[in-house]
Parts: sequence; structure tokens; C-alpha cells
Amino acid sequence: MARKGLWLINSVILLCLLACIGTIYSLTSKAPNFMLSCSSELFNHQAGEADHNHYLLVDLVSKDGLAQINYRYFDLSGNSAGTLAMTGKVNRIDTQRQIYDISVTTKQEYLGSKNVYKPEHYEYLSYVSGINLNKNGMHSLTIQVLERDEAKDYAVVLFQPSNTVCGCRLVN
Amino acid sequence: MQLGHCRFDSDKGELINQESGLVWSLPRAELHVLRLLVEYQGKVVAKPILESGHKDGSHLSSASVARAIFTLRSFLGPQHETLIETVKGQGYLLRHHRARKETRYQRRRFTIKSLPVLLVVISLFSVLLLSLWWFNRLGPSISPTMPLSIDTVTLDSGQQVEMILYSPSNTNNELLIAQGQLLTQSLLHCHETVWNKVFLSLSHDKQVLNITFRGDYFGQSIIRNIKISDLRQPKRFINPEWLKQVSICDSSPVQIASSHQSWRR
Repeated sequence: MARKGLWLINSVILLCLLACIGTIYSLTSKAPNFMLSCSSELFNHQAGEADHNHYLLVDLVSKDGLAQINYRYFDLSGNSAGTLAMTGKVNRIDTQRQIYDISVTTKQEYLGSKNVYKPEHYEYLSYVSGINLNKNGMHSLTIQVLERDEAKDYAVVLFQPSNTVCGCRLVN
Repeated sequence: MQLGHCRFDSDKGELINQESGLVWSLPRAELHVLRLLVEYQGKVVAKPILESGHKDGSHLSSASVARAIFTLRSFLGPQHETLIETVKGQGYLLRHHRARKETRYQRRRFTIKSLPVLLVVISLFSVLLLSLWWFNRLGPSISPTMPLSIDTVTLDSGQQVEMILYSPSNTNNELLIAQGQLLTQSLLHCHETVWNKVFLSLSHDKQVLNITFRGDYFGQSIIRNIKISDLRQPKRFINPEWLKQVSICDSSPVQIASSHQSWRR
């Protein structure tokens, strides 16, 4: 009994230690890095005004658990029409469901070139993110991968809570 | 006098096992031998001395001494029988190692006694860490947004295009569904297209309609994202004028690019 008991105790301690090592590893391991680049054509059906067409480039970079999202607006001539730069951290990655949970903590806005019309989407995004940041000091954002093809370097993602679907290039 | 886990009471002539509480009144030979060994502890007691009578002048045979040593060792138990050492050709020696043996024994007893406590502490620590890991892994659950609807549009050429609508809620989606139907109608006017999937979503405040076209062109992936803002009421994100601008039927990126060029002019 004594020897069997000791073996049992040793096994339990070993299992506990292994569990501890696994837990510490998972708690300290860094989130995987990723980079998405999404290009969108913008249209604005402003009542009583001619449509102002712009492009939007969204770059989303996650490295070592930190996230940076840049929304860069351009008119069709390539002039900058404004930039929204957000930084935050990656809270959690659900690899099974392919969902990235990001907390945006800072936001900076840069106006575009002079005499360039500010796109309606820029105003909209600035307003919405501003409200969320002002309320809690943190803008929670989730990115769900709807479709992904590593071979062709693309992913269709859904941003929440804005419910924005977007096709993006996978960089690196 | 402590001998392993036994205490020797020389006056009473008893050897008491402190673990089991067993008291052994030592027979004459054992008592005589043990008293001599204790008296000369750490030194070899020659056999003739052990065989000689101590006070009463009696004499023990060599076999009686050997038997006494044997029974004493038996009573001390396997852990401490080596306290009485046989020195070949000379006699017997009661070693001074009692304290060390005792300390080791006590340490072992302490270890055995504290083992369950140690196990409980380790288990609790493991459970705590596992809980942390579990909480970190699950956290507040993020449920994935499922498509509101998936429809297949079949063009005249027989080509099929999937129309996928996304909404975080199942209520008040009339506008999104209506825009999806408008886009479907306009796609039906196309003979063929490079797109094989169209994703549609409406921002939660219904101000921006997002359309993503996805297709393949000679094995290469093609993606086109469109975001339409409309502050008017009623909303008319997709309308005939806009459809003329964007040329969603374009069957190749070259044509898409050229349509953009003409549109820019």
C-alpha cells in the first residue's frame, strides 16, 4: 500500500505540476501576429449634394498582443482626406471560431489635405468611435473571420459592433 | 535513554516502544547485555565482558549473548537494529547514531504527516491556475455572428452567385433584406460576372451599407469592397443611378479598372 500510495501521490503531484506549467505557458504566451489590409470604395448619397467618392484603406496590425488600426481616407485623385489612427490591445483570440477581440484605447485624428472634402464615412467613424471611447475610455472591437484563404492571401471579415463586412488582403 | 524509537529504562529494566506503546521487561541476559552496551556506548564491548556477570557474578554463554543481541535488535526493529553493530572477532558496539537516526525518522514522520497538506496545497494551486487559464480562455463568451440569410442567384449563363446577408440581430432587418433584393435584381441583369459571393451588412445605426464582392480571376482572388453612406430618409443605398456608376456586372478586373477610370473623368 505504502509504495502504491507514494506512486499515486507522485503521479498526482506530477500531473499538477504539468497542469501548472501548461497554464503558466498559456497565460504568458503572446497572441499570434497578423496584418490585414482592406481597401474600400466609399459612396455618399448626401441629400441635395453630388456624391463625393472616396477610397478608404484600413490597415489592421496586431503584434505581441498590441493592435493598431489605421483608417486612411483618400479622394479619387489620391489626396489624403483624413486619417483615424487607433491603438489598443488584443484581449483574446478564439482560434476555433476565428474571432479577435480587441480593445481600442487611444484614437488620433489627422485632417487631410486642404480643400479636400472630408468623407461622410470619416465623420461617421469619428463620431461612433468617439462616443464609445468617451463613455468607457475603451472601444471594444471584435473581428470575425467569415472566409479565409491563406493560399490566396485574403480574408472576408466582419467588424462588430459596427456590423461592417469587409474583404481584406492578408499581409505576411 | 533513547534507542531509536525505543526508550530504555535501565532502573526498571524495561525497553519501551514509543510508537506502539509496547513495554518489554527485559530478561536477565538482554538487560545485562544492553546495560553494558549503553555503559560503553560508542566503544566495542568485547564478548568476554558481555559473557561475564555484571554484578551478581553470573556468567552468560556465548550463545546467550548472541541470542540477547538478536532479540534486542528484533525489538528495535529493522529501522534501528543497526544501532547494535557486530564487530567481527571482537564484540558488539552500540552506535552513537541515535540522534541522527531519530532526526531522520522524525523528518520522515513529519514528511509523511505533512504530505496530505502539501498535496492539498498543490491541488488548490493547480485548480486556481486552471481556473485562471479557463477564465482566460473562455472569458466573457464572444458568440460569432451567423449569416441572416444565404441566397443563391443564378445568372442567365448558369453561373451562380451567393448573396450572404449579415446582421447581429434577427429583428428590424427589412432595410438590409430590401437592399439585398435590389442587389440580387441588378445581378440578375448580368449575363456573367467574376463574382461568386456577395456579402452585405448594414451598420447598426443603418447609416452605412457595406458590400463585399468576392471572386476568382484566373486562379487569383479578387475582392471589391463598397461602403455607401446615406443620411436621407427613406434610405436608398442601392439605386439605379448608383448601379450605373459601379458596374457590378463587370466580368474582369480590367473592365472594373476601366470603368473606374471613365468614372473618375
